[in-house]
Amino acid sequence: MSALKTEELIINMGPQHPSTHGVLRLEVTTDGEVISFVRTHIGYLHRCFEKHAENVDYMGVMPFVDRMDYVASMYNDFIYAMAVEKLMEIQVPERAQYIRVIMGELQRIASHLLAVGTYGLDVGTFTPFMWCFRDREKILDIFEMVCGARLLYNYMYIGGVSKDLTIGMIEKIKEFCDYLGPKIDELDTVLTYNQIFIDRTANVGVIPLDTAVQYALTGPNLRGSGKKWDLRKDETYSIYDRFEFDVPVGTGVQGSVGDCWDRYWVRVQEMRESLKIIKQAVNSIPEGIFRADLPRVLKPPVGEVYVRGEAPRGELGFYIISDGSPKPFRVKGRSPCFSAVSVLSEIIPGNPMADAVAILGSIDIVLGEVDR
Amino acid sequence: MRASVHQVTQTFSTIFKGMMMTLKIAMQPKCTLEYPDVKKSLPERTRGRLFNVIEDCIGCLLCAKACPTDCIRIDIVKREKDEPTPRTSVESGEKPIRFWIPQFDIDFNLCCWCGLCTDPCPTHCLTMTKEYEFSAFKKEDLVYHFAKDSYPIQKKTPPPTN
Repeated sequence: MSALKTEELIINMGPQHPSTHGVLRLEVTTDGEVISFVRTHIGYLHRCFEKHAENVDYMGVMPFVDRMDYVASMYNDFIYAMAVEKLMEIQVPERAQYIRVIMGELQRIASHLLAVGTYGLDVGTFTPFMWCFRDREKILDIFEMVCGARLLYNYMYIGGVSKDLTIGMIEKIKEFCDYLGPKIDELDTVLTYNQIFIDRTANVGVIPLDTAVQYALTGPNLRGSGKKWDLRKDETYSIYDRFEFDVPVGTGVQGSVGDCWDRYWVRVQEMRESLKIIKQAVNSIPEGIFRADLPRVLKPPVGEVYVRGEAPRGELGFYIISDGSPKPFRVKGRSPCFSAVSVLSEIIPGNPMADAVAILGSIDIVLGEVDR
Repeated sequence: MRASVHQVTQTFSTIFKGMMMTLKIAMQPKCTLEYPDVKKSLPERTRGRLFNVIEDCIGCLLCAKACPTDCIRIDIVKREKDEPTPRTSVESGEKPIRFWIPQFDIDFNLCCWCGLCTDPCPTHCLTMTKEYEFSAFKKEDLVYHFAKDSYPIQKKTPPPTN
């Protein structure tokens, strides 16, 4: 009996666990209340995106791209469309570029609202979650009016967007921008600067900058660790160079740089920055065509291309190889959440069991994108 | 000691602020709908169930080719030269219908509501309606048949079922 180990206990968190944000399984080895080892198991949502993409034409990949990061599908479309356009050297009309930026930033706000709301839910507050969903609903209504769908939009076509903005949509988006600003302040009052929330998240799950870089974290997770790196600014694409906006960076005000609170705060600030971009874009949107004139069957020249952009969760990239036929030879997606999942086994050990959920929520993963 | 006192006061004051904000929001009218009883009006571009006006369909197969999940199955048979060629309606451009269309099935088990099939349709006969409540108990009930033509005699045998 003396050979029996009694100190450690293995607990399976997930895959059907509400706080794992999808179907992620964490094999947690606990020593009392403290976690000593974490192994992540992924693949429960694997849908063969890359293999599917080899069997449909370039436009047909778009619905599959939608389903990668299903709470930010507008932005996935944006980057995939940019990749094919770079491969085929298509000039996107000016109006389409503006519509893309407006929709992309609205999607970023919607995605961050979901992330912030569910993070509140993870650490034990229910009210902000409801408020965030109420505001997210307004964005989904705008999307529904413009493209007809509420979650999987398939709105960005190669060479532009599928439909023009409806009449009065610009006014509606302006109205929404005026509506959301005070709502973010309300969120600050009830959640961001709440002392219980700060105690729960500050100094928890600290990702030092060198760890973040080693694990190739991008997006709010990297910026929370103190690195000012935003592809919209540093490797500007589409028409982002025309707009004024800041890149919020975690400063460790409440605890240390790179803790859960910093990552959360970066997301809240990014919503404000996105509002700035949308306000500038709707004021300067030109008239014109919304879609370039393209042949019905797209046949890119032989070649390969990698295009990346700043999706709500970080750097999303598409690597496409073309063999000259209407179907892509290979499509590879580089997803930011995959890197974010891999850092879990580095930062969770040493924390109590209750903090594991707080850390998991703070890196804001979507399992559809991890598994693809 | 001082820090902990500060923390305690901070805790109570921020909770009080949050509660006052919650009370303020709770006084506002609610923004939810009692779904089955009250239904939201859907915008014009809603992508719901597909519908095909078969009288205007010319059997060009562009929708079936555009579909990424292959949920549209069309079978066409060329009309003979001596047969009269009907035309589509005035709204869809009076295009000649050169094929019999004995099979035009859309399998809503597979449809992903992407709308890619409606985009290339030359006569705009394939559209997405606002219908969204059409669950069924059997998978076969979700395969919608739009074709009205039957197979011309002795010209082609129908495809085997299943």
